[in-house]
Amino acid sequence: MMALVQTAGLTKVFGDVRAVDDLSVSIPEGAIGLVGPNGAGKTTFLRLLLSLLRPTAGTASVLGRDIGDGLAVRERIGYMPEHDCLIPDMTGVGLVSYMGRISGLDRDTAMSRAHDVLQFVGVEEERYRKVAEYSTGMKQKVKLAQAMVHDPQLYIFDEPTTGLDPRGRTEMLDLVGKIAKSPGRNLLLSSHLLPDVETICKYVIILDGGHQIAAGDLDRLLAGASDRLRIDIRGDREGFARRLKEAGFDADVSATAIYVSRRDGIEAAVFDTAKVLGAEVRYMGRVVRSLEELFLELLERKAGGDA
Amino acid sequence: MSITLPTYKRREMPLLPRAQRVRAIITTGLRREFRRPAAIVVTGMGAALVTISSIVTVLFSRFFLPPGAKLDLSYFAVPASNGAILFFVTLMAAIIGSGLIADDLHSMALTLYLSRPITHADYLLAKAAILAPLVSMITVLPLVLTPLVAALLGLFSWTIALQAIGLSILVGALLTVFCTSVALFLSSLTRRRSIAAAGVFAVNFGLSIPAGILAGTLGNPVFYASPWDNYVAVARAAFGATDNPIDWVWSLVILLAATILAAVVTYMRMKAVEVVSG
Repeated sequence: MMALVQTAGLTKVFGDVRAVDDLSVSIPEGAIGLVGPNGAGKTTFLRLLLSLLRPTAGTASVLGRDIGDGLAVRERIGYMPEHDCLIPDMTGVGLVSYMGRISGLDRDTAMSRAHDVLQFVGVEEERYRKVAEYSTGMKQKVKLAQAMVHDPQLYIFDEPTTGLDPRGRTEMLDLVGKIAKSPGRNLLLSSHLLPDVETICKYVIILDGGHQIAAGDLDRLLAGASDRLRIDIRGDREGFARRLKEAGFDADVSATAIYVSRRDGIEAAVFDTAKVLGAEVRYMGRVVRSLEELFLELLERKAGGDA
Repeated sequence: MSITLPTYKRREMPLLPRAQRVRAIITTGLRREFRRPAAIVVTGMGAALVTISSIVTVLFSRFFLPPGAKLDLSYFAVPASNGAILFFVTLMAAIIGSGLIADDLHSMALTLYLSRPITHADYLLAKAAILAPLVSMITVLPLVLTPLVAALLGLFSWTIALQAIGLSILVGALLTVFCTSVALFLSSLTRRRSIAAAGVFAVNFGLSIPAGILAGTLGNPVFYASPWDNYVAVARAAFGATDNPIDWVWSLVILLAATILAAVVTYMRMKAVEVVSG
C-alpha cells in the first residue's frame, strides 16, 4: 500500500529555530492525527506538505509525489486552515465554487460541486448570503466545503473545531468523521483537542520541538507497552490493595480503581483476595490510556530525557 | 434542513490547466470590482473625462498649437500628457489596486489561494491582470480614440492617426504596467487598503508636485524623481515632440526599472508573507 506521506530527514529552519527537525516518517493511508504542543512544528509540517514552504533539508512525498512539485501535490489536497481565511464580500456558494475553479474545475462543475458540498456540510439557504454575515460555525463549515469542492484524495484539517460551541464541535466532528470513513479519502487532522483526534483517527503522530516523539496505530499506542491492569471492585479498595502488596504485587489505589503490575499469578491473587475480603471484582483488564494521558506521559518523558 | 440526506461519493474529475485557474481569478476579480460603486464610478468617469478632454484638445488643436508648430504626429503628445490621466490613474490605483492584495492579507484569504494548485507568480499575475485592463481604460483607450476621432473628423490624415494609435498603445501600456506594478507592490506591504491607497497618492502626486515646484530652483533633473514627468518625457519623445526638459531615454529606463523592481520585490514579499501568516 502506498504511503500517504513519506519524509526522510525533513528539516525546516527559521533563523535559530528548527521548526521541523530531521523528521523521518512514513504515514499510512487513512485518518491520521497530528498532535503536539504549541510550537511543536505541526503547522510548519503541514505547510511543507502543501509545498508552501521549501524544506531546509530532507525530502518528502505526498501521495507518491515529491513536494517539490507543489502544483501536483496541491491538486490532490484539500486544506482547511485554522484561522479565518474566507473572502468576506463573497457568498458562501460563490466562494466555494470560486475555489473549485482555482483548483481546476470548469465553471459548471465547480458550481454544481459547490452546491453539493455545501449541502453536505449543512449550509442550506444561507449559502446565498455573504460570508461576512456568517456565524463562526457557518464559517467553519464553508471552510470545510471549500476544502472538499475539488474532491481531493487527501484532506488536511488544521484545528477544525477551533472556536466552535459544543454543538458546532459535534457537528464538525461528525462531518470530518464521515469523510474519514468514506473510501478513497485520507485525512490529516492537526488538533490541540486530543479527544477530537481520538474520535476520528486510527493513526497518530506526536510532535514536540520539531521531532516525532511517537507514531503508530492509536489503539496500539494507547495500550502501549504498559503491563498494568486496572481492577474495579465493589468493596474495600484500600484493604484490597494492601493485601495484594502483602502478596508481593505492586498495587496503587485511585479514586475509582486499583492498578497493579501484571505478573504471573496476579489473576489468582486478585480472586483469592476478593474471596477473603468478600469483595466483588467487577472489571479486570489492561490499562488503556487516553490520548491525553499518553501525550502528557511522552512529553514528561522527553522533558526528563532532555534534562 | 435537507429534504433528503446528502450523499457524497468521490469522483475523479479532470482538472483544467493552470491558465484556466488563473483566468478564474481574473474574471472573478473583475466581476467583483464591477460590483463596487467606487470602482464603477472611477473607471467610467475616468475613461469618459479623459477621452472627452483629449478629443476637445484635438478639436480645438489649432488654438492649442504652439506658434510655429505644425499639425502633425507631434500634436498627439498633447493628449498623451493630459493631466486628467494622472489624476484618474492615481484614483483608480488607489481605489482598486490598493485592495487587491491587502484585502487578501487582511482576510487571510491568501492562504486559501496558495493552498490551491497555483503558484505565487500565478496569483500575482492574476491580480495584475485584474488591475491592468481597468487602468488601460484611462491610459490607453482615450489615447487610441482621440486620433481615431481626429481622423474621422478629417482633422488629421489616416496615416498620422494610425501612427498615433500605435504609439498611444505603446506609451499607454508603459504607464499601465508601471501603475499596476507599483499599486500591487504597495498593496502587498500592508493589510490595510487605506495605507496602500495613501502610498499610491504619495508616489504619484507626492513626487510629481514637489518635482514641478523644485525644478525652478534645483534644475530639470529633479523631474527624474517624478513618475508622471518621466512618462510625459517618454510620451512626448515617442510622438516626436522635442521640447523635453529631461532625457526620455533615462526616463524610460527609470520607469522600466521601477516597474521591474516593484514586481520582483512584490513577488519576494508575497513568498515571505505566507511564511509568517499562519
